[in-house]
Amino acid sequence: MTEQELTYEQAREELVAVVQKLEAGGTTLEESLALWERGEALARTCQEWLDGARARLDKVMDDTDV
Amino acid sequence: MPSLRDATAEAPAPVRAVANALAQYVDRLGTVWVEGQIAQMSRRPGLTTVFMTLRDPIADLSLSVTCSRVLLDSLNPPLVEGASVVIHAKPNLYAARGSLSLQAREIRMVGIGELLARLERRRQLLAAEGLFVQERKRSLPFLPRTIGLVTSPGSDADRDVQENARRRWPAVRFRVVKARMQGVQSAREVIEAVEALDVDPEVDVIVIARGGGSVEDLLPFSDEAVVRAVFKARTPVVSAIGHEADQPLLDLVADLRASTPTDAARRIVPDLAEESALVAQARERLRSGLRNWLDREEHALTAIRSRPAMADPRHLVDARSDEVDQLRHRARRCLGHQLDRASDDVTHQAARVAALSPLATLRRGYAVLQGADGHVVTAVGEVATGDLVSVRVADGRIATRVESTNQMSEVPDEQADA
Repeated sequence: MTEQELTYEQAREELVAVVQKLEAGGTTLEESLALWERGEALARTCQEWLDGARARLDKVMDDTDV
Repeated sequence: MPSLRDATAEAPAPVRAVANALAQYVDRLGTVWVEGQIAQMSRRPGLTTVFMTLRDPIADLSLSVTCSRVLLDSLNPPLVEGASVVIHAKPNLYAARGSLSLQAREIRMVGIGELLARLERRRQLLAAEGLFVQERKRSLPFLPRTIGLVTSPGSDADRDVQENARRRWPAVRFRVVKARMQGVQSAREVIEAVEALDVDPEVDVIVIARGGGSVEDLLPFSDEAVVRAVFKARTPVVSAIGHEADQPLLDLVADLRASTPTDAARRIVPDLAEESALVAQARERLRSGLRNWLDREEHALTAIRSRPAMADPRHLVDARSDEVDQLRHRARRCLGHQLDRASDDVTHQAARVAALSPLATLRRGYAVLQGADGHVVTAVGEVATGDLVSVRVADGRIATRVESTNQMSEVPDEQADA
């Protein structure tokens, strides 16, 4: 997996694509499972990005809004 | 009287002769109209003559002027130091002292109307030369490092500029160059101050500040040399001369014209509180922008994750599991049918086998003769005497040997047992 190197937008875009593919069906079980795992990993990456951004924002806010 | 040119080292002329000769020479010069500023005036009690110093407005030189007290007292408005005057005078050498002076016969105050007319002419000339054009104006820095201030220290103007600027921007730095802001020395000192500040690399803007005053008071700020010095300066110059109606030419040549010293303070430094508020506002917008973006993205991400495909991956397996169950069911059912069918067939076939079985016939006493190779013997000719044959009866076989054969002439069509 290379999701650590993905930007938030890349990860989100791929996540949407993965979910669409999963929803469209027509894949083998093995493929479906691989897609789902990929989707989970991408969702985690997105969430990490967002959490990181929010943490940085909160830190600045805490530092200055005394 | 012998000419003084005849005097020699051996026969020198006496002082009185030289003094008198000079006095006569000067006396022959006649009268002259001269313009200048009254730099100093001393009325000594008991003397009918008043001594004054008439100064050139630009060059550092002056002449003594004497004037009768009567003439002086007749002037209206009274003559004051610093006034611009036109004097009709006669040069005079006071032989007793050897001092040269101009004896004033008539003193004309340069009237306000006259002054204004001259200023207007000067303004037009300098404007024609391009000293006042807007394109030549320099813009002020947003936040000057050091502000050069030309003013008379301790004056209201000095305080107004410094205090108001400091109130707006506490860290403001001034370099004050002292200059008299009124009187005959003023123009020169202002020029020197502006030049000194202009060459200081730390000074980003120069303010010339003075409180309000009469047209005469403000004359130095319309002085041509001052105007040219300001025009020449590479540092932006702010004129902060308090006045009401008449504009000194400095206002026109300055890069920025402030209406008062207080106004100048407002123009040269930004307001810290105002700027801080702007920064705070910008920061708040920045943060809420990011926060909104985060909320939006998080919402979208949650939506994607809660789609059945992602939220409940078991259904990936479940759906297939159902399918497998169904298929298994179908397969079983299908197989069952086939088994049933096969079973029926077997029963049927068994019945047929049973129906076709010769066993019943055998039980009734018939037997089947089979050759050694197992073929059913149906004719005498198929066996020979001595052949081993097998007789199949209802419950088994009897092995025997052919003793003899006897062929009948005809074989009836009916069954042997009929």
